[in-house]
Amino acid sequence: MNVDPKIKTHQKRSQWWFLLHSWLAMPIWLFLFFICLTGTIATVSQEIVWLFDSSVRANPPNDAATVLSFDEVIDVIERDFPGAYIEQITRPVKSQFALTAEISYPDSTSENVFINPYTGEIQGRAATGFNFRQFVRAIHGWLLIPFNTGFTRYSLGWYMVSILGIPMLLSLITGLVVYKKFWRGFLHPRLRVNRGARVFWGDFHRLAGIWSIPFIFIISITTIWFLIQGLLFEVGVPFNGVSTAPIYVARDDVPTSQEGRPPLLLADQAIAKVNSRYENVEAQMLYFPSTAFDHYRILGRSQAFPLVHESFLVNPYTGTIDEAMRVSEQPGLMLTRLSMRALHTGDFVGLSLKLVYFFFGVLLTMMIFSGMRIWTIRTFKATKAAFRQKKAFSNLSGGLS
Amino acid sequence: MKLRHFQTLLAVLMAVFSQTSFAHFPFLECTNEASNIVCIGGFSDGSSAQGITVDLISYDEEIIASKTFNDRSSVEFQQLGREFYILLDAGPGHTVEVDWDQIKTP
Amino acid sequence: MREVRQRSKGMNKSSLWFRWRFHLSGLLILIPIVLTPSYIELMSIFGGANGLGERTVGSRQVGPWTITLAEQFEAGPILDGPAGYMKTFNAALCQECAEDVKAVYIRLGKPRNLRTAGVIGFGSPYHMSFTMPVAENTSTEQLVWLTLEGWDGALHQTQWTLEEASPATVQFLKQLQE
Repeated sequence: MNVDPKIKTHQKRSQWWFLLHSWLAMPIWLFLFFICLTGTIATVSQEIVWLFDSSVRANPPNDAATVLSFDEVIDVIERDFPGAYIEQITRPVKSQFALTAEISYPDSTSENVFINPYTGEIQGRAATGFNFRQFVRAIHGWLLIPFNTGFTRYSLGWYMVSILGIPMLLSLITGLVVYKKFWRGFLHPRLRVNRGARVFWGDFHRLAGIWSIPFIFIISITTIWFLIQGLLFEVGVPFNGVSTAPIYVARDDVPTSQEGRPPLLLADQAIAKVNSRYENVEAQMLYFPSTAFDHYRILGRSQAFPLVHESFLVNPYTGTIDEAMRVSEQPGLMLTRLSMRALHTGDFVGLSLKLVYFFFGVLLTMMIFSGMRIWTIRTFKATKAAFRQKKAFSNLSGGLS
Repeated sequence: MKLRHFQTLLAVLMAVFSQTSFAHFPFLECTNEASNIVCIGGFSDGSSAQGITVDLISYDEEIIASKTFNDRSSVEFQQLGREFYILLDAGPGHTVEVDWDQIKTP
Repeated sequence: MREVRQRSKGMNKSSLWFRWRFHLSGLLILIPIVLTPSYIELMSIFGGANGLGERTVGSRQVGPWTITLAEQFEAGPILDGPAGYMKTFNAALCQECAEDVKAVYIRLGKPRNLRTAGVIGFGSPYHMSFTMPVAENTSTEQLVWLTLEGWDGALHQTQWTLEEASPATVQFLKQLQE
């Protein structure tokens, strides 16, 4: 057979790419599979809770369509839990979910309370400690290895997981190099189900792969960012920007009172102060002042750049806005951190995007599995063949001696 | 608020990344340099102490000098012939003290 | 092909190894499985399900008010970069006095004045949190001072010995200072 040497070197090179592609994930495939699987679950963990726990749902009643204001929610809590202290109230980005308030009781325990945003009905309560969402996230994010090695250290698990972004990105790149003219796959999708496992998994791997190019790219880049972020944090790079020292109400500006705590500005008043000065702010999270010298902290998702929240500190005695962190005021590193996180989880549009992330998460998880199947089937075949050859060879040599 | 959120953040919310800031434990380090005392202030998350009040106070509670940290997060004081302490005051309950005998000599 | 052939020589001897070596990374999955109970325990401490903290130091009458102090974890301080070693305590005010106390401060050693009263407790008055610096040369005989400031301006103080407040911190300092 006469083969053009040019083609031969080309074939050789692509074979090396193929080998690299195969070997990138194979030694770690099961761990990678586990991380992708838990990540896929994590992205819809809130929805899973929603399916199983009716108390976190926001069923609107037929007659009333208006949602309660923060003050009305506070009234409900104070009526139903006298003596309790409210720490924060969250209005979820997704309209299907109930309001959550974190409240603290005189016996030092605390709970999350789920409140119907229309009727104010207390639909359920849960201890603030363990919950399913955080658990799945903690497994996926750092394998539950605690962050207790110091205040400035990330968990070892964080790095074990985030370093996977590198082989994932390389797999994407080598995969596209190996899959010649992969764009044809968009026009002529092929998924042969009746030609054996090797063919099916191969087709699946390629088909899922090309359709997941943007998703895999986003996930691997954001994962690599998490790795970088951990390292930056450990060397003490401030994400808030170098000049962002914390802001407190001065001692002299806090009133004294003979009858205990003086009345604070109401939550709705604080939000109104923000809305009157800044356009397009929809308060989603409200943190109560945590000391006598602290502010109301109001967070709202940016309308212009929905990947991040904007935050406002409102003086609870005077109503002045002492800090406003709009998108344009956030330091670049902070914006990067928040955007990367939002891009990784898909938690910034609503249910629809979550489901898209879930779908591609399932595909990615199956791609890792299919990659392994292709590898083993191929290897076993090759091994069998090698065995036969060896046997034949030893028979031959036995006959000769 | 920041501290507890930070702790919870560490153990629980590391992946959630609520926008609550990281730890803001202030620190203050002072060194004798020639005729002056040079202090570097800051926060453990890397934030600068620029603009934050720092006072040199004698042991009989007289404020000898009241300054703010400059854009390099440092401040200089003249030596004082008696016992004193230097106080970084980022707000009520967010202070650090360095006594005269804790000042480092290079 | 040659590569495969060479590898297959050892295959009979250790075919189990040959078959399973690429699944070994799955052993990492054991990490979260093993850590699940301690994770649940940790979360319950953070959530306050176990009360104020891992170890309650005790309750004190301070002026007209009552306060309870606890260690977040029964452990020595944790290093926080340039800020040095930090130890976290939690405290709770009585329900009757929660609205009367403006602030609670904690400090190692007697405060000079209100401005230097120490680290402020933040969060719910029923579960305030303090992360207090512990200098490396702190005497193990040192006292932990709590300063309570009323909304009416009144100041009341109380002390625990460090040994009472956190035996683990005393232990930690002894080892550090050896």
